[in-house]
Amino acid sequence: MLFLDLLIQGLLQGSIYGLIAVGLTLVYGLLRILHVAHAGLFTLGGYICVIVTNQTSSFLLAVLTSMILVGLAGMIIYRICYQPILDQPPFVPLIASIGLFIAMEELFRIFFGAYGLSFTELPLQEPLALMQINLKQAEWITIASSVGFVAMLAFLANRTKLGLAWKATVTDPEIASSFGVNIIQVRYLNFFIGSSLAAVSGCMMAVLNNLVEPTMGSVPSYKMLAIIVLGGLGNVRGTLIAAVLLGIIESYGTIYLDDLLDRDSIAFVFLIIALMIRPQGLFQRH
Amino acid sequence: MLVLENLSCGYGPFRAVQSLNLKLEEGSVNALIGANGAGKSSTLMSIAGHVKIQEGKVFYKNNELNQIAVHNRIRLGIALVPEGRRLFPDLSVEENLKIGAYHKSKQRYSTNIERVFELFPRLKDRIEQLAGSLSGGEQQMLAIGRALMAEPSLLLIDELSLGLMPKIIDQCYEVIQELKKQGMTLLIVEQNTKKALEVSEQVLILESGRKVWEGKAEDAKNNPEIFEAYLGLSS
Ligand SMILES: Nc1ncnc2c1ncn2[C@@H]1O[C@H](COP(=O)(O)OP(=O)(O)OP(=O)(O)O)[C@@H](O)[C@H]1O
Ligand SMILES: [Mg+2]
Repeated sequence: MLFLDLLIQGLLQGSIYGLIAVGLTLVYGLLRILHVAHAGLFTLGGYICVIVTNQTSSFLLAVLTSMILVGLAGMIIYRICYQPILDQPPFVPLIASIGLFIAMEELFRIFFGAYGLSFTELPLQEPLALMQINLKQAEWITIASSVGFVAMLAFLANRTKLGLAWKATVTDPEIASSFGVNIIQVRYLNFFIGSSLAAVSGCMMAVLNNLVEPTMGSVPSYKMLAIIVLGGLGNVRGTLIAAVLLGIIESYGTIYLDDLLDRDSIAFVFLIIALMIRPQGLFQRH
Repeated sequence: MLVLENLSCGYGPFRAVQSLNLKLEEGSVNALIGANGAGKSSTLMSIAGHVKIQEGKVFYKNNELNQIAVHNRIRLGIALVPEGRRLFPDLSVEENLKIGAYHKSKQRYSTNIERVFELFPRLKDRIEQLAGSLSGGEQQMLAIGRALMAEPSLLLIDELSLGLMPKIIDQCYEVIQELKKQGMTLLIVEQNTKKALEVSEQVLILESGRKVWEGKAEDAKNNPEIFEAYLGLSS
């Protein structure tokens, strides 16, 4: 059973990574920006979740609020931080993004304290056995919501007019706009969706650890960058596979390599080896 | 009716086109000719909104285009077949055509796609195929088809026959004749001056960003020395 348990734990971790990394890859696909501050939005999502849950004792309401507010915050970041410098070489928005991420971490510290916040009453802790797998409700919800949101994203991308407009804008914004696509709207929407997925991820992290803290985004920020590179920059499917793969490898690694390396080092050793073997990423773009 | 008034456009401070005046009558076919780098594409792209207008004005149906967002110009009826086709290579033929009709209703889409398939039956057989895997000729047909999906009243075509074999070129020009019959206004950039003169009424020659000759296609046909003088080639 240990084997299966580890697999489930890996899937769980992979779901969280996947939800963060998808937003990042969406932004990269559209604007060729490495949006490091995305990890700050993940943290923001976690904070909003804890605060709203503690105020209203409704976890669901907290997640929805978090998705909407963080989605809006993503749009504001695009408007203020990226739109004015889109014509600059890629390192300019990258530096702006890193700066913004550090500023966000400091703001969390200033507003909510250095030691972070916890739920007054931790929701979704009852055990729930499905198909003979025993997990906490919160863990099931994490996996289910990742699968659900990814399915919605796939539907949006492949079955709707909006998805078509998005794909056209990714390939050739000029020509897409010539055919009536409002590319500014597409970009805003892109930031809204990507950021609210990061918020979901932050909410799940909060409830799984019963803690949000100012720097909870730092490790995910490194990992998400590595994941989207592994996934073939801008390739959404590749990013999701890379995220789940990393979750699983970490999960087995923590048991079998525990004497040598801790969880995060295992992840980075894997990423370094993978990128040495396939510097172009595990998956090609498109 | 399209009017360019003293138009200068270009890149940064560089002027690719200088003080161009031009008037296209409704339903006319116009050829824009000139050597490489003369500013033909820049002219078309400034009408479409992708090259900056530095001075002067462009009007279409009495709207000043500078006041109209790029993505709204298609609603005025201006569609573009850009240089190098610029299809969406990772999207299927059908999806490319859908983008063409992006601002149209579902019903208009169905009507328009039937029309495009009548003009280019080959596209119908390849509807599921990725645009990037089409042959050069098919890609040009798709680029024209995509623009026609928008039901334009003004069609801007850059390098219609470039890189196509004669049979396909003839086919494309038959479609142009058909569009002309339907009353569409066309502005065609061409290297193939002979073909361009066959369909057009008005001809315009650019050299280094300036208009150097303008007149009826017949006059141009009867005076091939015009082309020798400006393009160093005979029609
Ligand atoms: N993106 C750009 N940035 C800077 N200059 C440009 C750009 N595109 C074109 N130019 C310059 O503008 C001038 C006109 O170019 P344009 O593409 O309009 O010519 P053209 O008549 O279409 O030529 P061709 O027959 O080769 O397509 C040229 O001198 C060209 O070098
Ligand atoms: Mg050109």
